[in-house]
Amino acid sequence: MINSLKYLRSEIDQTVLASLGIIIIVGLVTLYSADHNQSNQFISQIVNIVLGLIGLFVLSQTNPRVIFSYIPFIFIISIMLLIWVKFFGLESNGAQRWIDIGIIKFQPSEIIKFTAPLMLAWFYQKNEHNINISSHGIALMILSVPFYLILTQPDLGTALMISFSAFAIIFTAGLPRKLLIGGSFTLLIASPFIWHALEKYQQARILSLIDPFQDALGSGYQTIQSLIALGSGGMIGKGWMNSSQTQLNFLPEATTDFIFAVFSEEFGFIGVLAIMMVYIIFFMRLSFMASRMQDTFSRLATLGLIVSIFSGVIVNLGMISGLLPIVGAPLPFFSYGGTSMVVSLVSIGIIMSLYSHKSLIAN
Amino acid sequence: MQRNQLRFVIAKRQSIVVGLFFVLLFLIIIKFFLVQVVQHNYFEKKSVNNSIKLIPIAPSRGLIVDRNNKVLAVNKLIYNIEIDPNKKHDFDNIKTHLRSIIPISDADVEQYHRITKENYYSSTVPIKSNLSQHQVASFLARQYLVDQVSLVPRLERFYPFNEYSSHVVGYINRINKDDMDKLRRMDRLQLYKGTDHIGKTGVELMYENSIHGFPGFKKIEVDAKGNVIRTIESQEPEHGQTIQLTIDIDLQKIAIEAFQDQSGALIAMNPNNGEILAYVSQPDFNPNLFINGIDHKNWNKLNNDKSKPLLDRVIHGVYPPGSTLKPFVAMAALENNLRKPPYKMFDPGYFTMPNGSKTFRDWKREGHGEVDLVKALAVSCDTFFYSLGLELGIIKINNTLSNFGFGKVTGVDLLNEKKGLLANEEWKKNKKNKRWFAGETVITAIGQGYTQVTPIQLASATTKIAVFNGDNQPHLKLGRFLPLSKNAEKKEMSTSTDLMHYIRKGMEDVTAPGGTAAFLANDRYKIAAKTGTAQVFGLKGGEYIEDDLPDHLKDHALLIAYAPANRPQLVIAVVVEHGGSGGTTAGPIAKKVFDYYLKNYNND
Repeated sequence: MINSLKYLRSEIDQTVLASLGIIIIVGLVTLYSADHNQSNQFISQIVNIVLGLIGLFVLSQTNPRVIFSYIPFIFIISIMLLIWVKFFGLESNGAQRWIDIGIIKFQPSEIIKFTAPLMLAWFYQKNEHNINISSHGIALMILSVPFYLILTQPDLGTALMISFSAFAIIFTAGLPRKLLIGGSFTLLIASPFIWHALEKYQQARILSLIDPFQDALGSGYQTIQSLIALGSGGMIGKGWMNSSQTQLNFLPEATTDFIFAVFSEEFGFIGVLAIMMVYIIFFMRLSFMASRMQDTFSRLATLGLIVSIFSGVIVNLGMISGLLPIVGAPLPFFSYGGTSMVVSLVSIGIIMSLYSHKSLIAN
Repeated sequence: MQRNQLRFVIAKRQSIVVGLFFVLLFLIIIKFFLVQVVQHNYFEKKSVNNSIKLIPIAPSRGLIVDRNNKVLAVNKLIYNIEIDPNKKHDFDNIKTHLRSIIPISDADVEQYHRITKENYYSSTVPIKSNLSQHQVASFLARQYLVDQVSLVPRLERFYPFNEYSSHVVGYINRINKDDMDKLRRMDRLQLYKGTDHIGKTGVELMYENSIHGFPGFKKIEVDAKGNVIRTIESQEPEHGQTIQLTIDIDLQKIAIEAFQDQSGALIAMNPNNGEILAYVSQPDFNPNLFINGIDHKNWNKLNNDKSKPLLDRVIHGVYPPGSTLKPFVAMAALENNLRKPPYKMFDPGYFTMPNGSKTFRDWKREGHGEVDLVKALAVSCDTFFYSLGLELGIIKINNTLSNFGFGKVTGVDLLNEKKGLLANEEWKKNKKNKRWFAGETVITAIGQGYTQVTPIQLASATTKIAVFNGDNQPHLKLGRFLPLSKNAEKKEMSTSTDLMHYIRKGMEDVTAPGGTAAFLANDRYKIAAKTGTAQVFGLKGGEYIEDDLPDHLKDHALLIAYAPANRPQLVIAVVVEHGGSGGTTAGPIAKKVFDYYLKNYNND
């Protein structure tokens, strides 16, 4: 009993917390500039952060066994929320993504980004003695439920992102190399059919990557304005609150998906490099923590959560720098958005818990 | 799979996955570097283009006023409904909707299409011009029904005197492709940002650069929706200068009305300073028709009219001078010490060439009897000039005529003035590849033959008789005048006052009893004049001369005159096409102009 108390009063990793703090504060500073319409997003983001940090601290002190036992439950809850959003969700920009329960509004698709990898990790942990082809098949089936629900919202970006973390887990859990190669090959063959299955606007967004100026006022508009923001920021940037692209509303979604374009315009490539370094330190520390874990669940869950956050970073930055098509993807810890912020912080709390209790759950 | 084996696989693949993501992040950082550092200048420009717009503010066109400040060209504030043809629009749909608000005629539609077709420059094109107050109100009330059109206030050129000012003031029209090429060559295209019109003829063309002014600009910052956030800097346009002309529009009206339905030209000048007081070319046209591009119907009417209303006869019309050339030929004689009074000769009514090859008849079959140089001018004796011409030779005649300004532009401040023609041996060789006959010199001396003059040359030459060595370069812009071309450089007349005295006496006697324009005599002031009848066909003396002139240019009545004879204040040159003989048609027109101009003159 005394022993377990000692374990429970676990420490929170300094490196992760410090880098997280820097990212969040810089994000807030940028949000203040981006939210020039004074719609109080700054205040509400602080509330999101506080809520998220509380979640982080609470979960970091929670016994991983408790967390583990609740995973199927919260996964089913998040699936039900996705079904709910399908029928009763709020529509925004042509997609049903939001649930409004009076005092708060949230996006179940952001929640599933974290519950799906946890669920897969849970599944592999349960079957760790008997992992074979059929268990990978079951894992794929578990993934297919939220994937389908999100794809039909429609939100291709998030659907792909949960697939990244899910595939990362399935791959790490020992997917045979033959299957991997066979799967990739099948995907390649299937790509023309997938292309046809895409909505017109999705096709246009992908095409506009090749030449955004083809349809400068249509599908290419967001990419162009984002590139102009980045490019005109140059090496040292235009200075805080001084971004013409943002202040004059040329940049779309300046506080959410495109907030890093605002940052790039105001603080330049030097600022971008600095933040990238912080993200790199953050992910390297998390990866190190993952590598020190002992059990299957901890390793797979941590990896899944890292990939989930990391792919958020990659997709968002790829999108604003014109490398990837425009999909609705916030920059983790940086973009305005309650669900994403709270859930990301909570999942860091889970990793902390898994890390500080690694020897406890090793056996 | 064994648990330990699984652990090993997980550890290995974990690093592969995370490593892959770090590689992706590294690629993204490279992309940021490319966009932010390598392509910085490109995007910097794009960013400025996004938000900074330069709006030209067109200057308003300078006015044109006459010498008494009567406005000949003014700018009128009108309201147009305009469409931006460069933006996607459904014209038929706009037309239908607009018609439910205000009447749009087929002519409006035609004008819109015509301007759009020729529109190389302006941003918006009127679909309906010059709305009434009522129409403005009803459009504003129901504007929401029609997208893509806007109510645009414009300053539109207006010529209050209509036809009366047409040839001298000229007109403006919309800038077309040729104008743009011209402006580009002159490096003035920038100055026409926001301007739709440019001077095409007359003073509007001549003084375009001063009348146009300099555009201002407004540098503004706009947001993504095009809302103006702030004005960064602005500069007011420098409006066009007002051009004051030497013209007296009331005098010009008198002259025009004196022509009645006849075609021709009249130019009235102050011989003391070269100011042009009346500038008439008949028939004329309404310059207001041209401002937004003349419609086909009116254009065909004006362009196909046989009487050529669009031709500015004052500087572009060339006529054989007829007997109005005699005073200048007489001057040529005196300058060469020939026929100086009291020299007299007997006129039998004809002149035979010394070799007997040809006989040239006087207009008066029985002849004028004893004739000296003064009388020869007064009665317009042909015989006197036939022998004189032969004796002088074409070179000496042309030399003096050239000193009076014939055969070259007068340098009046208008563009594309015609030079007329002083024919000689060389000219005939080049042009017709025929040799020059002595008989051609003979008829040149009485103003027939190849010699061609413009009305303004006649007037300008007459001022040199009326006032000796005066600064009488003809001009239209009031104030100091600089000659336009080297051709127009003032050449000191070598003639002495004594010699000119005989010419003046001769011209004074034209209006004396027995003179060819005796009917011009009046109590108040003395007119000195010379009449002329320009026959191109059926020349006196019968020598047939092939000529380029079309048939309908024959038998023009001409008159040059100045008054008061003792102290000349006004010189007039008149040509009345098909006006019959001498001063009978041209004379009364000149008389009316003199009467009006000298109405306060007392013969003391």
